[in-house]
Amino acid sequence: MAKLSLMFENKLVKEVPIGSRPVSIGRSPDNDIPIDNLAISNYHARVYYEAGRLVVEDLDSLNGTFVNDLRVERATLHDGDSIWIGKHNIKVDATGDAAIPWDSGRKAAAPKINETMVLDTKARRDMLQQAAALGERSQFSPGRLKMPTLVVLSGKVDQKEYVLTNKLTVIGKSPMATIRLRGWFKPKMAAQINQRDDGYYLGTGDKVPTVNGTPISGTIRLNDGDLIDVCGVRMNFIIRE
Amino acid sequence: MEIVSGGVSDVGRVRTNNEDSYQILDSLSLFILSDGMGGEAHGEVASALAVETIVKCCTEPKNDSGATLVDSAEVHWAEKTKRLQHAVRQANFNIYESARKNPAQRGMGATVTTAWANEGKLSVAHVGDSRAYLLRTGNLQQLTNDHSLVAEQVRRGIITPQQAEESDMQSVLLRALGAHEDVDVDVDEVGIFSGDVLLLCSDGLTRMVTEPEIAGSLQAETIPAKAAQKLVDLANERGGLDNVTVIVVRFQEPAKGWFSWLRRGSKNKD
Repeated sequence: MAKLSLMFENKLVKEVPIGSRPVSIGRSPDNDIPIDNLAISNYHARVYYEAGRLVVEDLDSLNGTFVNDLRVERATLHDGDSIWIGKHNIKVDATGDAAIPWDSGRKAAAPKINETMVLDTKARRDMLQQAAALGERSQFSPGRLKMPTLVVLSGKVDQKEYVLTNKLTVIGKSPMATIRLRGWFKPKMAAQINQRDDGYYLGTGDKVPTVNGTPISGTIRLNDGDLIDVCGVRMNFIIRE
Repeated sequence: MEIVSGGVSDVGRVRTNNEDSYQILDSLSLFILSDGMGGEAHGEVASALAVETIVKCCTEPKNDSGATLVDSAEVHWAEKTKRLQHAVRQANFNIYESARKNPAQRGMGATVTTAWANEGKLSVAHVGDSRAYLLRTGNLQQLTNDHSLVAEQVRRGIITPQQAEESDMQSVLLRALGAHEDVDVDVDEVGIFSGDVLLLCSDGLTRMVTEPEIAGSLQAETIPAKAAQKLVDLANERGGLDNVTVIVVRFQEPAKGWFSWLRRGSKNKD
């Protein structure tokens, strides 16, 4: 049977077998793997079998779940993988599992329909599995999520860097702003960054930001390494692996 | 913050009944939109029940009637966000139970998208493919992720957004109210800025009208009720293949300046 080994500073803390029930990980003591550390959310992540594959799923934790250094929302686990949660490492031992083959090339079989319908659990599982199998080979797979970060190079703001996690990020003086500008005469909302399915987009607010020295018009998609200037603040947009 | 809203629901040009339901509670700044499904007029029952349940859960003094539904809501959400999430789960349960007790209603379900504004913050909860958008300084941003098969495939990089628009699988939902005893509800919180425009709409709008057109209409017409009507008209001009329902909400800081500040001050004293 597969198992998870919780390690802290290279010492084995706890070993938990993975059965048919999901293994929960979090700060709350009722987790299967409780980790008493403030960096860890109450219900941080869980590991379970889905169609013969071991899957880790982040439960919208504050500080994230990492598999072999990549931040993931959901990812398939393989033997020898390391799940990182805070400073804790959970080693994955998936030996003894029968690998279940499947044909990913097949097109999802579904009836042609005009009326809205909801997939029942089994049909949904099948379709998503096929989707997952295909998606895994693509670079956009959710298991290969990256962390877009704004690193502040100069200017008065409340933090040195910001990991963009929300759909809407506002740069401005407003208390609602994620990136809070300091100083007199700064606008409430100087600019905004929107998360879309295909990336992050910078848009104007009360000011027109410049990207790599050129003022933007409308919205533009940010690329790794872009230099953003707005209201006397210079930031570097980088995508952390 | 001044909040002005308007909503319109229309049967469209093809269907004979309107399975959408919506409600605007200006006193609470609560907005609910639901798109029902399941033939023989039961879609209406489901969407109406969804709206009714959410209104009830959000207006009644907090009670523990739903204590059986263990809330998995993350601790960091605001109280109203958690309450909204709970209300949507309760709506799911009520639809599920109604269909279970009444065999004629079997298979009925609904989507729901709901937003609640409070203290400069907008709580959004949704299940299904009815969307919430926010227009801010000309940028239209979708606040919700569709729980549809094609949207999931786009997120996973399997198909392109263009392929999704042409797909014959667009009506396949991965999540809806009433399908199971419990449901995962997506919630989010967004800070509100003066000038923001919130749009809630059923898929009858988004399948007929493109996002740039929606953004254009919302910018051109500043009276929410008129903007909502304009969007519905546009969907109908394009064929009106489905019921279409639209709620538009505009957030505006009252005009600034010493004079209005003094006036506001005296109003508060009354």
